[in-house]
Amino acid sequence: MSNTLRPYLNAVRSTLTAALCLENFASQIVEKHNVPEVEAGNTKEVLLNPLVVSRNENEQVLIESSINSVRVSIRIKQADDIERILAHKFTRFLMMRAENFVILRRVPIKGYDISFLITNFHTEQMYKHKLVDFIIEFMEEVDKEISEMKLSLNARARIVAETYLSQFV
Amino acid sequence: MILLEPNSFVLEETLLARFASEKPEVVDITLVDFDNVIYHVQTSAEQRTLLTLSVEMKYFSQVVGFGAEDILRREYGDFLVPPATSQYQIALQFNLEQLPEDKAGLAKHVSMLKRNVLASPFLRAFEYWESQQEGAGPLMATNYRDDEAIYVQAQQDRVTVIFSTLFKEEVDRVLGKVFLQEFVDARRQATIQNAPQVFYSSREPPLEIRHLPGLKQDESVGYVSFVLFPRHFANAEVREKTISQIQLFRDYLHYHIKCAKAYMHSRMRGRVQDFLKVINRAKPDRSVAVADKKTATGRYFRPNFRQPVAAAAASQAEGGEW
Repeated sequence: MSNTLRPYLNAVRSTLTAALCLENFASQIVEKHNVPEVEAGNTKEVLLNPLVVSRNENEQVLIESSINSVRVSIRIKQADDIERILAHKFTRFLMMRAENFVILRRVPIKGYDISFLITNFHTEQMYKHKLVDFIIEFMEEVDKEISEMKLSLNARARIVAETYLSQFV
Repeated sequence: MILLEPNSFVLEETLLARFASEKPEVVDITLVDFDNVIYHVQTSAEQRTLLTLSVEMKYFSQVVGFGAEDILRREYGDFLVPPATSQYQIALQFNLEQLPEDKAGLAKHVSMLKRNVLASPFLRAFEYWESQQEGAGPLMATNYRDDEAIYVQAQQDRVTVIFSTLFKEEVDRVLGKVFLQEFVDARRQATIQNAPQVFYSSREPPLEIRHLPGLKQDESVGYVSFVLFPRHFANAEVREKTISQIQLFRDYLHYHIKCAKAYMHSRMRGRVQDFLKVINRAKPDRSVAVADKKTATGRYFRPNFRQPVAAAAASQAEGGEW
């Protein structure tokens, strides 16, 4: 693991742990409604300051917290066309299965590649530290997966080209 | 399964099944091949022993100019008949009672029909090279697909083959670029130094065909040039092999782009499974509290995730607690 990745992930981990301090909070505007305040954004006084943890301009995590929900958005590194396509395909693939992931948002926040929404109901029913583990592991694995896929694509292309051309010899 | 076969396997199978069967059956089958070639295998209405193979090949009128008809006469002279409708360009008729001994060989030979027809511009170029004329030969274009073409031109010491290929999708274009770049780089390997030289340009057509009108010039088009040297076509046996290989270049490239995409897809599937395992670790183990219950019909009754909360609320609403 490179020198800058470890502190980056540590920073995200501790920020998330701190942000995931949620309690049940019914809407103050509509009676009998209980909505994630960070999504609704109607009640200003329960929103906290959003925070960006940034490794570089291409890799950032935006953590927006509120009294009953936290939204985590991740921007994945995309150095070239292939990585852009791979990242896009991969995040789309995940988001199409969002109902299985419980905390995954179907659409990312503008400017980011993938978003998670954790509400107080999630933290009540799941272990908080494991949720944080999941997000950290996700960030690690996505980068690894994308670079592995890129390598395997290049390896495949090389084998394909060599096999074709070696027939002419 | 890395390489593609020059013949159409499904056509070979179909024909062989008809040739080998004891009793002639009535058939009417449509098959497809690369480059939008369509085969139609049909028994004649009057006589069951007559089997007609009609071929729809959009670019046939172009390759006729390069001597495709001579090739057809040479290869399939005994079976050649005029096509029944204008939809088809080539028709072969087989009398199932008077077939040669080697039925498998015949089926194989017929399944190479598309390859043999498309070989005509290549053969014409190689003949031009053999005649040792000064200067470059004519530029022979074959629009083997809509918007895609093969250009063959003979020079004094080499034959240039240029493919234009169209990438319909953005993803295909990017992957195609990676593959084509490897084709260009692969020749640096010591073992394949003898392979034809490959050049690749996206957007800009190569010099040989730049003067042609109506060339597409945007991001979606790629031009691949192969430079064949005499060692690839001087010997008759090598020549046939070269033609078979080079014709299939476009199909080969696109086939492998699709394979790469399929591989990535299955890989992502596996990775999503792994992620699901990780997120499920966050859910406390409830298997002790609620065992699987069976209903009367034998189906499992599984309370959903938020059941305990809902159940408590329900019992409260019913006034059970009071």
